[in-house]
Amino acid sequence: MTLELANLLFGATAAVYFAASVLFVADLLGRAGTLARWAPRLVAIGVPLHAAHIAVWSVVLHVCPVEGIHFALSVAAMLACLTYAVARLRYRVDVVGAFVAPQALAFLLASRFVGPVDYEPRLRSALLPFHVISNLIGIALFTLAFAAAVAYLLQERRLKHKQFAGFEHLPPVDALDRAEHRFLVAGFPLLTIGILTGTIWSREIEAGGTAAIARAALSYASWALIGGVLLLRAAAGWRGRRAAFGTILGFGLTLLVLVIYLVRSLLTAPGGPA
Amino acid sequence: MIVVVGLSYRTAPVEVRERLAAGADALPVVLARLAARTELAEVLFLSTCNRVEVFGLVHPATSARGDDRVEAALRAIREELARQAGAGSGDDLAAYLYDKRGDQAIEHVFRVAASLDSMVLGEPQILGQVKDAYEAAVAAGALKGTLSRCVSRAFTVAKRVRTETAIGTGTVSISSVAVDLAGRIFGGLSDHAVLLLGAGEMAEAAARSLGEGASALRICNRSFDRAAALARDLHAAAVPWDGLEAELVQADVVVASTASNAYVVTRDMVRRAMKQRKGRTLFFVDIAVPRNVEPSVHTIDNVYVFNVDDLEQEVARGMKARQSEVGAAEKIVAEELARFLAWTRGLEVQPTVVAMRAKARAVLFSELERSLAGRLKHLADGDRAALEQMLESAVGKLLHTPTTRLKERAADGEDARELAAAVRFLFDLQELGGPPRSEEDPLESESDERLPN
Repeated sequence: MTLELANLLFGATAAVYFAASVLFVADLLGRAGTLARWAPRLVAIGVPLHAAHIAVWSVVLHVCPVEGIHFALSVAAMLACLTYAVARLRYRVDVVGAFVAPQALAFLLASRFVGPVDYEPRLRSALLPFHVISNLIGIALFTLAFAAAVAYLLQERRLKHKQFAGFEHLPPVDALDRAEHRFLVAGFPLLTIGILTGTIWSREIEAGGTAAIARAALSYASWALIGGVLLLRAAAGWRGRRAAFGTILGFGLTLLVLVIYLVRSLLTAPGGPA
Repeated sequence: MIVVVGLSYRTAPVEVRERLAAGADALPVVLARLAARTELAEVLFLSTCNRVEVFGLVHPATSARGDDRVEAALRAIREELARQAGAGSGDDLAAYLYDKRGDQAIEHVFRVAASLDSMVLGEPQILGQVKDAYEAAVAAGALKGTLSRCVSRAFTVAKRVRTETAIGTGTVSISSVAVDLAGRIFGGLSDHAVLLLGAGEMAEAAARSLGEGASALRICNRSFDRAAALARDLHAAAVPWDGLEAELVQADVVVASTASNAYVVTRDMVRRAMKQRKGRTLFFVDIAVPRNVEPSVHTIDNVYVFNVDDLEQEVARGMKARQSEVGAAEKIVAEELARFLAWTRGLEVQPTVVAMRAKARAVLFSELERSLAGRLKHLADGDRAALEQMLESAVGKLLHTPTTRLKERAADGEDARELAAAVRFLFDLQELGGPPRSEEDPLESESDERLPN
């Protein structure tokens, strides 16, 4: 029964995210018409379904949702959708859903097709939930900042090239720039907590492999980059394009950290290559 | 028959149009004069910046022949227009006036309301102006029948054209393109300040559209007195010309339209201003020729410069997009015209239908009365009422098919007059007065018949 329910929730969530993604793309191409207003609503509908799926599926697998990269990705995507659904009520960031919805769909599917990870007892720590949760929420916020930055660059490019046609539903550049900044400001403290807890945790477990070093280096680099973007904006007026590129690069580095986790998890998963 | 006489931007210069225009105060007088003409049964006076037209319904109850009645109605309108223009007769206006009659006049009403005959294709104001003219004519008692139906049908046509085609989309004026661009950059202007460079007519026009809704409007001009005078009109603040660079730090939208031959805003000025602005976005609308803003300013991060060519390019694109919708809009007009003509043709046979039913009813009820006074006088009131009800029903059922056939024939565009004449001959019917309102009016049942709000 629980497995069937988990499957049902998985299917429903995937269908809702898929429909939202299609509508967002159609809207960007100017072909969605009045249906476009359903795209962000579908993302909001997907959030409780997604959360329920995570809860039921973790019962099926007997795994804590914050443990294991396959679930973490799914939780991060769900949190990104939740933040998006709340943020769009206040800011003009509907278009950000064009990235958030497909990403949520991809991470949801990935969570199902990547095998569960059995954590070694030596990796378990009281710091682990703090580390993972702060990183997940941080990644969710950086995802939104990244999407706003991409939309900003598209709109800014059109204005600089004086192109009036196409992508007419993109929000104003100023609104996108402000939204991107706010998501970064909200995500940065969480990233800081994630890095601090990660540093202490890795000392506890005496991690020192190549992957752990690379992961730590990338984490510090992304923290420094995003911190730099915020600092330069406040001190030297680095807004717009420069801030957008910095955000995209910072998000790319945090994503790389996740990729390293993912690849390592796949390699060490039971049945996977050693 | 519906007729129209008038002039528009296509046929008459503004000096002629303004002589004929009637404002809200003069409109009731003009309508009263037109409504008093015996040649016209109904009338509507439409006066906008770009057209002055009188729509009329030829009076059917005059003794003249059909064509003569139409000519007399057209003449009457021309005379009243000449009077409105202050000319002695319609002769000096003749070169500018056009007239349309019958189907063409109805099609014209539909096209005008749908903004297919407007100077700016698809502009929305015309529908409101036709609606105002309609309400004024109704208030003056000058609209009550077929013409009233025709104009209210025109509202439906306009509504369909706006919703089913993209004729009203896109920006088609320099100021609306500038407002649209400001929207793409800032969203709304309620938190942003607008700075006007120059105090000429162009600056004023731009300020009226861009300054509306802005958090602040400041005017900077070489002549401070002129800036101050315009600032008073626009409820803005005048600033001295030598404070321009400082103003660039405060403003978010700068509209430049001075007559200067050299750049008024240079790249270096903007770079310095952007440092002080901490990178806040700055948008220049340069509508001056020669240009006031150095073009390379556009390459600075978070600064956007759009000159008059850029804006006109978008205007042209908007116009082209609207033009491409004309075919679809004309198709809607043609559909609605066919429907309306079918309805009006149905009206032509209506007197015959009414007379036929009246005759049948009169004969049957006369027989019933005779029977009720003789052999059936023992019947109780309830039975008598039942018999009357039965006869009413029988008249309806018996005449349903001939009524429908007559109306169908008329609606199909075939000449139903011969058939109507045959009915009148067979039933020995007398010609009744003007057509009453149809009980089965195909346009009546539609929910969208009401005036748009």
